[in-house]
Amino acid sequence: MNGNDHIRWSEDLAAYMLGALEQREAGEFERHLESCERCQGEMRWFDPAVQTLSESVERQEPPPGLRAALMAEVRADVRPAPAKSRRWRLRPAMAFAAAALLVAVVVGYEIGTSDSGSKGGSTVLSTQEHGIRVKMVREGDGGTLHLANLHQLPPDKVLEAWVRREGTVEAVPALLVPDRKGQAETTIADMSGVDTVMVTEEPQGGSETPTGEAIVTMTVPL
Amino acid sequence: MAVRREKAERLADEELMPLVGRKDPEAFEVLYDRHGGAAYSLAYRIVGDRAAAEEVTQEAFISVWRSGARFDAARGSVRSWLLSVVRNRAIDFLRSKAGKAPKLDFDDESALEQRPAAERTEDEALRRETAGEVRGAIGKLPGEQAKVIDLAYFGGFSHSEIAEMLQLPMGTVKGRMRLGLEKIRGELAEGLA
Repeated sequence: MNGNDHIRWSEDLAAYMLGALEQREAGEFERHLESCERCQGEMRWFDPAVQTLSESVERQEPPPGLRAALMAEVRADVRPAPAKSRRWRLRPAMAFAAAALLVAVVVGYEIGTSDSGSKGGSTVLSTQEHGIRVKMVREGDGGTLHLANLHQLPPDKVLEAWVRREGTVEAVPALLVPDRKGQAETTIADMSGVDTVMVTEEPQGGSETPTGEAIVTMTVPL
Repeated sequence: MAVRREKAERLADEELMPLVGRKDPEAFEVLYDRHGGAAYSLAYRIVGDRAAAEEVTQEAFISVWRSGARFDAARGSVRSWLLSVVRNRAIDFLRSKAGKAPKLDFDDESALEQRPAAERTEDEALRRETAGEVRGAIGKLPGEQAKVIDLAYFGGFSHSEIAEMLQLPMGTVKGRMRLGLEKIRGELAEGLA
């Protein structure tokens, strides 16, 4: 490697770090870089300047739905794929148990309407059972289930939400994991036809059908 | 088995990445909570539209989730790697948007957006500058250096496209990029002194 060769490529280094070289040029530069310690050193020196560009942008608050949508996709990746369909009919015994839970556990709810400033406003349902505060915020076709005052779970357990729609129970893709304040939330993308929302404790990764005891059951007016 | 959220929060980014590589949602969630704001802000800065920035950020994080094992700690921090993934996605978004066939009833504004990158003109440079987007670290640079860095890093233009846009020799464009980065780096070094 002679000095002139380095000087020639050195002119391209900043453009390379800014992503401004054409693909072919970038490939040639990378081949040079492999054997040029001076360019490698310059890159290390310039690197904080390039990182500063990313960090210097005006901070924007991500939309609240982004995190929920992202985690729903992530959790759907780790959830075992159902054998046939994500929908299923409750077995008779399970249906009976779910119905019994509905009757026995629902404490009541308050219905209020708040003007969230978005189209059509939002409907808020709230209740409390087993010391857990439950709030369901319906907006448009979907809704968000908020839980508070949750106990920390054993490491091998998660909370999973379920909706019942026309007699069929469906899993909500995003699992609920309480934070340090004992709060958790999940998004229900489609609330149409849903008459009941339930939360159960399930093994890590979630289940295809409810296996644990319901800690929350909320009826939803159609 | 996935780690609990509390445990994941105590781990450094570099310790979270192997867990993400093993498909641990809690580790990934902590990673998003730490860097999602910066990632969305960068995406918004590049694409200039909230819905598009949301889409870009989600795609970038999903690609990290599905390829987390590819992170190489020897080549920089998790944060800088993540932000580079976001930048690449955002630039790809801009390019794919520019590559669409023009509408028959286009107006000047939509036509500008739909032209291939190489055909976008100095209007683009002017728009980015006058929109107050040259700020922060590059805001302190001489205007001609800030402009080429802004167009390259946040606009996704190559040095030859910028040269054509600004009607400058390519060597001048590359020189201004280098001088600009040197100045930013120098200020960082002074700040540490």
